[in-house]
This record gives sequence, structure tokens and C-alpha cells, in this order.
Amino acid sequence: MHDAQMDYYGTRLATCSSDRSVKIFDVRNGGQILIADLRGHEGPVWQVAWAHPMYGNILASCSYDRKVIIWKEENGTWEKTHEHTGHDSSVNSVCWAPHDYGLILACGSSDGAISLLTYTGEGQWEVKKINNAHTIGCNAVSWAPAVVPGSLIDQPSGQKPNYIKKFASGGCDNLVKLWKEEEDGQWKEEQKLEAHSDWVRDVAWAPSIGLPTSTIASCSQDGRVFIWTCDDASGNTWSPKLLHKFNDVVWHVSWSITANILAVSGGDNKVTLWKESVDGQWVCISDVNKGQGSVSTSVTEGQQNEQ
Amino acid sequence: MRGCSRQRLIWQKGYCEDRLPLAQFSLTRCRGQDGGTRVECRRVVAMAERRGPCGIGGFGPAGSTGGARAGSSLATGAELEARARSFGGPANSRWLRLGAMEELDGEPTVTLIPGVNSSKKQMCFDWGPGEMLVCETSFNKKEKSETVPGCPFIYIIRKDVDVYSQILRKLFNESHGIFVGLQRIEEELTGKSRKAQLVRVSKNYRSVIRACMEEMHQVAIAAKDPACSCQFSSQVSILSAMELIWNLCEILFIEVAPAGPLLLHLLDWVRLHVCEVDNLLADVLGSENPRKHESFWKLPGTTQTLTELELKWQHWHEECERHLQDGTFASSPHLESLCKIMLGDEAALLEQKELLNNWYHFLVTRLLYSHPTVKPIDLHFYAQSSLDLFLGGESSPEPLDNILMAAFEFDIHQVIKECSIALSNWWFVAHLTDLLDHCKLLQSHNLYFGSNMREFLLLEYASGLFAHHSLWQLGVDYFDYCPELGRVSLELHIERIPLSTEQKALKVLRICEQRQMTEQVRSICKILAMKAVRNNRLGSALSWSIRAKDAAFATLVSDRFLRDYCERGCFSDLDLIDNLGPAMMLSDRLTFLGKYREFHRLYGEKRFVDAASLLLSLMTSQIAPRSFWMTLLTDALPLLEQKQVIFSAEQTYELMRCLEDLTSGRPVHGEPDAQRLQDDDIETTKVEMLRLALARNLARAIIKEGSLEGS
Repeated sequence: MHDAQMDYYGTRLATCSSDRSVKIFDVRNGGQILIADLRGHEGPVWQVAWAHPMYGNILASCSYDRKVIIWKEENGTWEKTHEHTGHDSSVNSVCWAPHDYGLILACGSSDGAISLLTYTGEGQWEVKKINNAHTIGCNAVSWAPAVVPGSLIDQPSGQKPNYIKKFASGGCDNLVKLWKEEEDGQWKEEQKLEAHSDWVRDVAWAPSIGLPTSTIASCSQDGRVFIWTCDDASGNTWSPKLLHKFNDVVWHVSWSITANILAVSGGDNKVTLWKESVDGQWVCISDVNKGQGSVSTSVTEGQQNEQ
Repeated sequence: MRGCSRQRLIWQKGYCEDRLPLAQFSLTRCRGQDGGTRVECRRVVAMAERRGPCGIGGFGPAGSTGGARAGSSLATGAELEARARSFGGPANSRWLRLGAMEELDGEPTVTLIPGVNSSKKQMCFDWGPGEMLVCETSFNKKEKSETVPGCPFIYIIRKDVDVYSQILRKLFNESHGIFVGLQRIEEELTGKSRKAQLVRVSKNYRSVIRACMEEMHQVAIAAKDPACSCQFSSQVSILSAMELIWNLCEILFIEVAPAGPLLLHLLDWVRLHVCEVDNLLADVLGSENPRKHESFWKLPGTTQTLTELELKWQHWHEECERHLQDGTFASSPHLESLCKIMLGDEAALLEQKELLNNWYHFLVTRLLYSHPTVKPIDLHFYAQSSLDLFLGGESSPEPLDNILMAAFEFDIHQVIKECSIALSNWWFVAHLTDLLDHCKLLQSHNLYFGSNMREFLLLEYASGLFAHHSLWQLGVDYFDYCPELGRVSLELHIERIPLSTEQKALKVLRICEQRQMTEQVRSICKILAMKAVRNNRLGSALSWSIRAKDAAFATLVSDRFLRDYCERGCFSDLDLIDNLGPAMMLSDRLTFLGKYREFHRLYGEKRFVDAASLLLSLMTSQIAPRSFWMTLLTDALPLLEQKQVIFSAEQTYELMRCLEDLTSGRPVHGEPDAQRLQDDDIETTKVEMLRLALARNLARAIIKEGSLEGS
């Protein structure tokens, strides 16, 4: 599985592929200029993730070579700033936590473990590992949006408010699991969401739009995409809704930034866009399909991006 | 604006008594690197009424500009049920029950991306702010790329391309002013003048559309490239159609013209849009029988009542009929047909079809001659029959026709829906719906969504603006006037604006601060502070971290400042540090930095006693980091060496204690031995000097304090 990710502002795109490289492009104004070609992995690179810009220009990549590499741009050049080798098997997914929590990276691996790297300063990263998170392997990780319990009062001494950190993971045990950080800093499995009948390929926790509900999308080898919603603030009852059953593996699900559209990409050569309607039904609004090469009419596009 | 095939967002409206759930589609565009774009458009709309589905294609001559005019395929009942069931569960029973009545046209719109390596199964994608990016995962070996060989093939699917049009930008800018003005005067809109003011607002919007049309028309004429010219012309026709629709809505929904004036408004409406042809007709009519027309043209509604109007007209009508029957015009078939026209004879009118551009022109002409005092509620009968007669079964209605028909039927809901489907940009429906909402029409038409529909459309429109590097500022105001989700949408969008210049950053910050979006302010300031540190602009970094109230970062930057001082012996950005004020309290390190600088200032002003106590307090209060103590003690040396005694005995004891503290508790650093020995040497010398100076000062202080009492 290969990946591409836009940075926060939509100005840069990072792509990774089986040729072991991570490429960064400048995509402003519809252009496509290669900025960097990062080499360091010894196997196909599965996923890339941009950190929040307040930490600088930081990119994480994970690969079949069991490594997670964190790259940083210093003085205009991209360099490897950290390498994490704590896994015994391919690392399949990386996801940065909401910036409010600090610089924290979650990594899911085929060895069934999930590791959490926290930047503690001076180039040091602290590692916490959740062993046997999923039997056989973990395929995807996705963080919940930051929600502050109570009101956000200014803390003049610079203390961070008490966030409840959570993330979701999907694995080869057909399960979606929700993890929560306890007060002692240890991570505990909070929920087990069962609905899929085959490997869970991707999970995506929807951005928050201020409503008390939480929403997670999961997709699987069994061709199904489920939307999980939790209405109560304590986060205890999750109910699944089947979005659609596709005819082939569904690889990737992703929410638009205001969480009003879910994009789903599957093995049937399509990317479909889905939107929730007022009465809670999910409707497919578009099919972005791969062409077979022929174009019958062409519309002249006189518009170029203007400054 | 595009009149040709696109896709639109579906949203389903909730139930409203007999209303069924609706769906609309959002259109996304696909632009290929090789210039070609996608093809197919099988568009689907789940309808509320039993109205037939609209075809796709643009207004005017469009249809041919790229959109496949694929007829919509009606799904059978069985297919409907299957689809409904797959949406999951018994909760869907509403769908199932209504499934048979609904007409689901088929599959959602398909966008094909040409030139993609289809042998590779998977296509990856990612969302960008405002647009979706799709990229091919395998390298496109066929394409000779100019950039770097072997680049993946990237497609950008934009949600809204119209924001990039230079001319349309004026439309967006000016209509934004009208929109904001309307929201602001809402409270002042009362009583009788309310309607007049709303009509004025409507006319303002229309004049903006016309201005844009004019400009685009000029550009179309001036364009050298015929393809460009054609494109601009089609945009002109779309704008014209928009103005046509808006004008009709103004007459029927906002002006709410009663019978009598209604026809006059409609006459104006038609004249405005078909003026060329109307002139011809007027010539034909006017030249033949001016006298017969005088009495009619003198009938403006205000001075006479409806009944008086009707009577006059009846009288005139009967006179005409008599002339016809008497064979007054028998000698001239031309005059005879003219008379028939004036009597509203449909057949005669239709004979002059070339002069009538379209069915609504035909409608108004018909009404003019047969039912000039038509009431608004009766309009749709005539409209429908006019449409049928005019088309004569040869062609089917186009989207524009359906929209106008819906307006004549006073079905606002349908008008908005059809416009949403036909147009490529949310501009039109968002502003029109907002205005109609101010006219309190959305509630009165019993829509379940009600004013929520207004908000929905405004949100979609505003989101589209955020994709643009400067139009996003307009979007902010639109979000402000969306009470439910406007704020959170703004919060999510505003953080994604690239802060390419300091001015832009300040602009964004101001917007956030005005709305008390403290989280966003903090986040943006942190980003800017980080940027500044990376560019070695410490002063800027410090001020951003103060604004972000980011203690950790402030500490980091303060450390850098102190390190700089140690290396260079002077401070940079003195102004900033001197004027920290209460911000100094943000972090201990920052406080220390500020106080330390104050120490230097006091020293420079020769206020040695104050400087001395400050220096001491920096150590005793533990504000100073231990690593800095040596520097501080060294700074104390000149004060100890002064002629007059500055440090009191008490203070000297304190200093000595600090020194001993420092020297005794020194941990072993992992430095190479040679360096350490050398450093130790320097350190030892320093310590010795200090001890000596302190001892001497202590002696002098004791003597001074002892003798004070004596002298």
C-alpha cells in the first residue's frame, strides 16, 4: 500500500512508494516541483505523515524494513532526525497526535504492537510500547481530536491542560480498538469494536465540529466500510452503521477537514465520496474513477490559477 | 461559472409532512495534466415530487460544451429497494416505504481521470484544505514529464474552480458587501419599508450580476483565441440566465406583485432580457395601429383599481373582436393576424414564433393580450401551457425552463434545488436563499430545513472561498452569519491558511482575536514563533511566543538569548527585552532574562546599589539557572571592586554562600580530560578571584557598618 499526504496548508505533498523513497513536492498553484527525495528506508515505504507546523517542518515515514524515520527540514534541507527501530516486523501506519498534546507519533506494526514516540526535547524521543495490541498485526492508527474537559483556562505557568488522549487502531484480528491514556501514563484498551469479518485496513477518526458525538470510519478486507458513532461524552457506547459493502478490498478512508465528507478508496478502482444527510443516512455523492484511457470530449480550461 | 456537466453535493433534506427526502449533488472538477478531462456524467437526484428528472447540460447553447447529455436512467423499484437496504438496517424503513414513489435516477456521478495507469489497482488520495488531491501511485512511464523523470502523476480535483476567475472575483467581492449589509440592517427592517428595502437589496445583487456580465462580454469580444472567446460567451449566457431567474424570483417572491402590476413587472422582465426581439415586435405593432394601443399602454396599476382595469380592458378587447368579425381587416391578412394576436389568439401568436425567443416571452405576450389582470396564483397554469405550446412536443424542457416553471409555481424549494444542480458554484443559491430567508419565505414555505438550508448553502459557499489565497477573507464574514456551524467551520478553515507573509499572519490573527478564538491564536503564534527561531530571528520568536502564551517556547528562546549573550557579550533585540512588562512572568527563564537585562541597565546608569541587590536576588530567588550563576558572580566582581562599598555585609555573606554552593555542588561533566583540566584552571582562578574580592568587600562592609553608628 502506498500513500500520499498533503501538508497542513495544502502547499506540499509527501509521497512514498515501493522504491523506498519518500518524495516531497511543492504543489502550489497547481504545480508539481520536486523539493526533496529522501532515502533511508530499506524496504517499501507504506505511509507518511506531516506533523503540525508549529513544530517545524517534520515528516514521519514507516516502512517494511521495520523502521520509522522522522525527517526534519533545517535550513532548507531535509534530514533524518530520528530513527525508531523498536519493531520486529513491518511498520504499517504512522499518525501524529493533535498538536495540543505535544509532538507524539503513534506507529502500528505487523508485529502486533503499537509504539508511541514522544518528543521530550533536545533531540530525545521517549518510547512507550503497547504489545499485542492486535494479534497478527496492526494496520492502521488514527488519533481522536483533542477535547479539553471543562473550560480552557489560561495556565500562566505553562502547564498543559488535562487532555484525555485517545486513539483508534485497526488490525488483522478484524477489530477496531480504542486506546486511552491513563493518569499514570500507561495506555489501556478502552473499547473493542467488532463488526468486520476480515482484516481492518484503515481507521479514521473524524475531526470535531463541536458536537458531543464522536465518529470513526473503518474499512476492511471484507469490502465493508463502517461508520461508528458515540453519542455520550463518556465514550462508552459505540454503534456501527454500514456505509456500504464494496465488491473488493477497501484500503483507505479519509475525512475532509470539516468532517462533512468521507472519501473511500477501494480495490475496485474507485474513490467514492460520502456525505451524511440530515436524517442520518449516508449517501454517495461522487465516484472518482480511474479512466481507461479514452477521452471523448475535452473541455478547454482557459482558467489558470491567478495570483 | 459553468453551465455544462458537473456534479453537485447531495444533501438530503429531512421530512416535512408530505415532502420526501431530497438529494442534491456536489460537483467536483477534474483537471488533467495532459489537458483532457473527464467524460461521463450520469447524474442522480432523488426527487421529492413526482416531477421528472432534469436533464443535464447547460443553459443556452451549452449542452454541447462537453457534457454528455446522457439521459437519466430510471432505476426500477427493485433496484431502489436493494440500494435502500444496503444503507443499513430497519432504521431505513422510511426509505423502503417511499422507495417505490421516489425516482432515483441511477448511479452517482462518475468522474473519470484519463491517462491513469489502470493496471495498477490502487489509487491513493488525500484531502487538502478546500480541495481533494488524487495521485497515481505508480510512476507514469509513458508521460514525458518536464519536471523530474519518474514523478508520480498528480491530479487535483478542485471543489470550486470559479474562485479563480478574475472577472467573477468582482462578483464575489461586491456581493459580499451586499450580503453583509443585508445581515446588518436586519434589525432595522420593519413594517412597510421592509419590503421596499429588500427589493432594493435584490436589485443591487442583480446589478452586480449585470456588471459582471457586461465585463465578461467585453472580454469575450476582445479575446483573440476563439476557444477563450467561446468560453467567455458561454459564461455570459450563464450569468444572463442567473439574472433572469433572480429577476423573476424578485418579482414573484420579494416584490410579491399583485394582479395588475404583476403583468407590468413581467413585461419589464421579458423586455430586459429579450429587448432586441421586443423592439421588433413593438415596431410591428406600433406602426400599424397606434391608436388601438394607446388606451392600453396608459394602464399603470397605481391610479386605477383592478376592476377598473379589467373593465377597460374588456371593453377594448370586445372592440377588437368586433373589428375582426366585421371583417374590417379582411383586405389585409397581415392586419388580420395582427388583430388576432391582440386578441390573444394563441395560434396567431405561435405563427410569429421566430419573433418570440422562448416560451416565457410567449407566456407574457399571451397574458398581455388575453389575461392582463392575471393573478399570481394562476400564473402557473398559463406558464405550463405556454411551455407546452411553445415546445410543441419537439423538444424537452431544459434546466432553465424547469427553474422558471418552479418559480411560476411559487415552489421556492424546487427553484433552489434545481439551481444548485445546474450551476457549478454555490454563489447564486447561497445569496438568493439568504435573501429569501430574510423575506421570511423559507419558513412560510414549510421547509423542514427552513433557515438551516440557508446556513447549509452559505457554509458550502464560504468553504469554497477558503481555497483561494485572498478571497478567504470574504468567507470569514459568511461564516460569522451562520449561527450553528459557522464558528467551528471558521476555526477549522482559518488554521489552514498558509501564512506566507507577516502581514497575512497578522490579518489572520486579528480575525481570530476579534472572535475570541484563543486556541487558533495560540496555535498560529506558535507556528510563527517556530518559523522565526528557524530563521534565527530571536526577537520575533520571543514576541510570538509571548503572544501565544507559550511558556515552554519562551523559555527556549530566552535560553538562546542568554547563550548569545555569553558568546557575544551583548544582547540582541534590547528594545524587546526592555519592554517586556508583565509578559515577563510567562516563564521563569524569561523573567530572568528581563531582570538580568535590567541589572545591566541599572549598572549602566550607575545605580550600583540597586544593581547589586537585583543581582543578588536573581540568585537567591532561584530564578537564575545554576548554569548562569558563575556569570552572575563574575558580573558582581566590578561591583565588589568599586571604591565605595556597594554590597552590605549581609549581602556579601549571601554571595559567599552562593559561591560555595556553586563550587561544592559541581557535578562531574563528561568532558574530555584535557579540556576539563583547562576549564578547571580557569574556573579555579575565577573562584579564587571572587573569594578574594568577597573577602575584601566583607571587611570593608563590616568596618563601614560598624563605624556608621559611631560617626
